[in-house]
This record gives sequence, C-alpha cells and structure tokens, in this order.
Amino acid sequence: MAELHIIGQIVGASGFPQSSLFCKWGIHTGGAWRLLSGLKEGQTQVDLPQTGDMAYWSHPIDLHYTTKGLQGWPKLHLQVWHQDSFGRCQLYGYGYCHVPSSPGHHHIRCVTWRPLGSWQEQIAQTFVGGGPQLRSPDIIYSGADRYRLHTEAMGTVQLELGIIMRHFDRYGVES
Amino acid sequence: MATNTPSVFLLMINGQIEGANFPEYDELYCKYCFVYGHDWAPTSGLEEGISQITSKGRNSPHTLVWNFPLEITFKSTNPFGWPQIVVSVYGPDTFGNDVVRGYGATHIPITPGQHTRTIPMFVPESTSRLQKFTSWLLGRRPEFTDPKVVALGEGREVTRVRSQGYVSLSFNIVSKDMKRLGYDTTPTETAQTSSHTHAAGIGPGDQPYSL
Repeated sequence: MAELHIIGQIVGASGFPQSSLFCKWGIHTGGAWRLLSGLKEGQTQVDLPQTGDMAYWSHPIDLHYTTKGLQGWPKLHLQVWHQDSFGRCQLYGYGYCHVPSSPGHHHIRCVTWRPLGSWQEQIAQTFVGGGPQLRSPDIIYSGADRYRLHTEAMGTVQLELGIIMRHFDRYGVES
Repeated sequence: MATNTPSVFLLMINGQIEGANFPEYDELYCKYCFVYGHDWAPTSGLEEGISQITSKGRNSPHTLVWNFPLEITFKSTNPFGWPQIVVSVYGPDTFGNDVVRGYGATHIPITPGQHTRTIPMFVPESTSRLQKFTSWLLGRRPEFTDPKVVALGEGREVTRVRSQGYVSLSFNIVSKDMKRLGYDTTPTETAQTSSHTHAAGIGPGDQPYSL
C-alpha cells in the first residue's frame, strides 16, 4: 500500500477583523485512506499578537496515512475563531484546502469565509457580535449544499506542509 | 557498501540559529532542543544548546545575531515523528532576572538542500486577571515548565499566548537512503515543471483572482 506523510505547521492567520484568534482544524479523507499515526484534528492556542495583525499559532501537524486508492485525497478543514477578553468565542471563518499531491515543501494560503445572516442579523452582529454558524461542518469541505448559503470573505490562514510519499510510483501513480 | 535494502535512513542537519528580531528587548540568549518521535534517534551531534548573550548592533537596531551552530544527525525507520527544533529566547527584565521572551518551533525541512526558516516567537499569557496582576507585581512571567510542549499538537486549546518577535534559522539538509526505502521527498524529475504549477494551484489562495 502507498503511504503518505503530512508534516508541517499551521503557521497563523491574517486579514481578520480582530486578532486574538485560534483555529480548530481537522483532516477529512475518503474511505480508502487509513490513519496509522498522528492526530487528525485539534485546536491551536489563542494568540494576541504584540505587533501587526498576523496571529501566529505554529501548530505542528504530523500524520501518517496509508491508502488503497487515490479517491478522497486528504483535505484539511479549518475554523478560525476569535476569543475576546472575557473568554467569549465567535466564529470568524471557515476554510479548507487540499493536501498537496506532490512531495516536497509547500506554502499554502487558505482563504476563509463566514456565513452571512439576514440584514437584521447583520445589524445585530455589528453591535453584539456572534453570528450564524454552520449546523453541519461537512459543508466546509464539500460542494454539495453550498448554493443555499450567503457568505462573506474573511482572512487567510497560512500553512507550511511537507509531503513525503512512499510506494506511489510502485502503482504507477505520478506526482 | 550496503547493497541490500537498508532498514534505516539518515537525516543530517547542519545549520545555524542566525539571529532574532525582537523590537522591544535586548541582551537575549537562546536555547534550542530537538523533539522527535519514537522511531527517531540521534546518532551524532548535540541535541541541546545554549547560546551566548547578544545585544543589538549599533548599525542594525533590530537584529540580534547569535550565529549559533546546529549540527546533528538522526536515524529513523519512519518519517512519522519528524524532528522539530524548539527555540526559546530569554533575557533580563528591568530587575535583572532572566525571563522568557519567546518560544517557537518548526519542523526540520524535509527536502535536501539549503533552507531558511523564520519562526514566530510567543510567550504564554496568564489566563486569570489575578495571575496577571501578581505576575506584574512580582515581575515573574508565566513560562512553560518544559519548552517541548510547543512542539506538541495536544493540549493547546487551553493556552493563550502573545506573539512577539522572530528567530531566523538556516539549514543544510542531507538525507541518506530515503529514496532507497521508497520515500519521495521531492517531485519526480520528469514532472518537475508541471507538478510545480499543479502544486501551486492547490491552495485556494493561489487561484487567479486576487483578494
């Protein structure tokens, strides 16, 4: 069986309305993929940057997958949250990116979005915060039910991922 | 030498902690250590080190230079648990006590060749206001008892940090027997150009529209 190593970091995020951000992340794969070792989901620390608007998490990722097929190549999905000084959390963005399919080191910028409510909700959001969230987080990485959503652009999350592949060439897979 | 298939691969790391950029602090030194998985073992070189105390130069008011060497070789059977370098920076506060000015970590580059990495540094923050007040009063900052936690993915959700400053590292990586064990760390030669553009197109941020 072919093996895939994903080694890297969720570096941080920028372009969000406020800093003091943290990120919940997870990896979604198809049925042919099996996780041998490593954590496939997690949550970063909360960072309040001293200067600049980039929040840094330096959250390590180290995963070892084996696979019987190429379908369902791993996808990394992210949720960026803001924590205020009272410890209240508010959703700031959803995003996903495919894990690169060629070996080597990759710098990835993952754009994010958040759902937009009705205009009454939007006014309420500007004054009291909060806002709509997805009921089923699978929509973050699937395109099936997106058409009913109304969203707005949020910041970007930066990732550094190193990909090591093993025995893919044995099955004639070119990457 | 070894004609039949080897069971371990080697990763030789030569590099240096070049220096740091901390706009607010001076007279800093750093410590480094490596964090790696169970299948990994160092075969030669130093796993830990403490640098000299350095001050900002007169001509470069921002950069601190350590020029501190890193030389270590690891062996392993499995890339899982790939080594990470953990750097922590310390310096005196106004009373002359050494306090931490930043923790940071990065994976050792996986591809052979020359690499530079700039790692963001952060310090833990007190979560309660009482602790914040007592730490201000006594001049004691919260610290990690074991700096290696910054290289772990678990238990981070309870941590609040403040990022300040950067440390720059340079690496020269040589690996041995990884290819022979079947591990690809670089794109195949024939598909170099096409796979490069393909890889760049994966991140949604690299799509043609600009944000």
